[in-house]
Amino acid sequence: MPSAITCEDALRRWRAGATPTLRTQTTPAAELLAACHPDHGPNARVPLAVGVNRGDACQPELAQQLQANALIDDVDIAGAQLVTTDVLVIGGGGAGCAAALTAAEHGAKVLLATKLRLGDSNTVMAEGGIQAAVGEDDSPQLHFEDTLRAGHFCAEPALVAQMVLDGPDVVRWLIRLGMAFDLEDGQPLGGKLLRKKPGGASAARILSYRDYTGLEMMRVLREAVELDARIDTWNRCPAVELLSDERGRCAGAVLYNLEWRCFVLVRACAVLLATGGAGRLHLNRFPTSNHYGATADGLVLAYRLGARLRELDSFQYHPTGIAYPPHLAGALVSEAARSAGARLINGEGQRFVDELAPRDVVAAAILRECAEGRGIEREGQLGVFLDTPTLALQHPGILEERLVTLRHLARKCGHDPAREPFLVYPTLHYQNGGVAIDRHGAASVPGLYCVGELSGGLHGRNRLMGNALLDILSMGRRAGASAAQSAGRFIAGRAGIGHVYAWQRELMLAGLPLQRKAPQLFPTYAHFDLRADVQLASKTAARCVGDPR
Amino acid sequence: MTKVRLSIEGRELEAPATSSILQAYVHAGHTLVEGVGCMGQGVCGSCRVMVRRAGDAEVRTQLACETVVEDGMQAAFLDYFTASVQHVYRLQDITDSWGALRQVGQVFPEAAHCRHCGGCDRACPKGLEVQRGVNLAVEGRLGAAGDVFDECVMCNLCTLACPEHIRPNHLGLFVRRMTASLGLRPGDLLRRLQQIDSGAMGIDFDAPGARPAR
Repeated sequence: MPSAITCEDALRRWRAGATPTLRTQTTPAAELLAACHPDHGPNARVPLAVGVNRGDACQPELAQQLQANALIDDVDIAGAQLVTTDVLVIGGGGAGCAAALTAAEHGAKVLLATKLRLGDSNTVMAEGGIQAAVGEDDSPQLHFEDTLRAGHFCAEPALVAQMVLDGPDVVRWLIRLGMAFDLEDGQPLGGKLLRKKPGGASAARILSYRDYTGLEMMRVLREAVELDARIDTWNRCPAVELLSDERGRCAGAVLYNLEWRCFVLVRACAVLLATGGAGRLHLNRFPTSNHYGATADGLVLAYRLGARLRELDSFQYHPTGIAYPPHLAGALVSEAARSAGARLINGEGQRFVDELAPRDVVAAAILRECAEGRGIEREGQLGVFLDTPTLALQHPGILEERLVTLRHLARKCGHDPAREPFLVYPTLHYQNGGVAIDRHGAASVPGLYCVGELSGGLHGRNRLMGNALLDILSMGRRAGASAAQSAGRFIAGRAGIGHVYAWQRELMLAGLPLQRKAPQLFPTYAHFDLRADVQLASKTAARCVGDPR
Repeated sequence: MTKVRLSIEGRELEAPATSSILQAYVHAGHTLVEGVGCMGQGVCGSCRVMVRRAGDAEVRTQLACETVVEDGMQAAFLDYFTASVQHVYRLQDITDSWGALRQVGQVFPEAAHCRHCGGCDRACPKGLEVQRGVNLAVEGRLGAAGDVFDECVMCNLCTLACPEHIRPNHLGLFVRRMTASLGLRPGDLLRRLQQIDSGAMGIDFDAPGARPAR
């Protein structure tokens, strides 16, 4: 660990209510990112050796997953139960639910399969809010420009334009489903929505429900899906491979039923992947704010089938993950705190960055402080202060009324946020890139849709706060509607895992090992081995949660 | 680092004293692929667990990701279940806010039978006044009822506890959803929707702000 200032010393230099000056910035943002952001540096990327994106840069640990062998073989699916549906949605977060609801509304028979339980996702954990340009001082045009600029102009303008124009309609759709939003004046009819300014934006555009917007959203979406008779939900059924037909079209998926320990084949007119991101792979050995299932499953499966990916070397490290206590490392302190005015303070009692600069810049600035000895050390954990006591002094009552989750988090950390600052360090938060999609969420493989964090092109190389929740609903609904159009089509031809054999030949030719298997399905510390689990099937009589596998 | 000894799912194990029950379980090398989600934030409601602490006669229900281990603690996961009877409604069919209280009675007829046993309150890992929320809903005080469930994570522990099959958390959510869908009509949103629908809010792809500064 680089040298650092002890927490006691740092606390002596810090005083609640003080307004330390911002250290003069001499380094341009681009240089700061190149020097300190984990996306940069000599070990940040490798070229892919196989697949559609051969030669393209990819984060090294993700490359290992993408260039791995399949988990299953023909023998595994011989004799497996076969089920058919119009639309198969894989993933039970916000994107999957929005897609399932919309596909069902358009008349499709929908099967939604999810690895954990419906709603277990990053959506439910989202705190800050959702962007939609509704303010008088704001417009979809500004939202469009902010999104492109924050993403370093690498996003697809047509996709971004569509998303920002969808914003207000998405909010109306959510209210129709029964989601509440915070109001500025407390007037539900004709009043104003409470708006907050996200880091890197030119207007206040974040709409929220307290600081647990995602929970409010997800419980509404989950209930809507569960009450919809046209949607079948299968919990605890991760996808382990996609099915293809002779023409290379996506024809369904192979699911593994964790309950019964068996494989199930699902044939579908359209497959919609909404499996989220990759935080639980702990790329570059960072802690993560992501939920337990975020292991890049959909990305691996889509790539193996031939879907083109993009920006695979770009991840978002949220600036304010918990650094201390260690058992909460990686847990998120919402941007809502900085958005409300909380400052970041280094070990010398200085402010060192504009707290509302884009997330990649703020994260890089924190990493620089820590690398150059101005970080704060507490029991082996390194970070900087997030000054909530000063925020509480400047805005009396804010911790009680608006930053509820933050208060709960402080209690878990064992401190009073009104008296003591948080020790924070960047945490792996979001996969900026993903599967390349068109305006309907369709991937380059016919029959395959990809939405949400899994997809790429909407956020370029850095995402703005609040654009993830907008993305999943805007694209989720569009992809659901588009996928439903293929409903009822006669399913012809054979479906199988022929593409896996082609893939294995490619791996062999590239000299890559066949022993490495993916998707990983669970974090390494879950101690899950699919092969061992299948073997247990015959022995399973009675079962309880957490039985050895 | 201080260690504590406890038992999870009947297995004796040792874990760092600062671990949550979930962390202690995986730390000991056990397989964890269900009853887990947000892993610490306490918002997904998946890791429901029964806990008995040393010297405490009562078994409490909590979330395993939020509960820090203690010496002599016994913990057992509660499998997630899907109730066979659901309270079914179509929110889009409920359009008359004058009928809101009637809807509560029709969709959740059991709510009026609350025995005031407090089982739901004891079951709630978030300390919500669940029973009061149910009673308020039956009285027609829908706003206040919805507020009780403001921080509900839908873990379904109150549903599991209720002897009258009220499914309190689903009742709470029903009231909240109805309140928003019938009553929330922000003026700025209405106006912006109108502007977009009329085509007054197009996107200029060639605006100076839409390309990198030179």
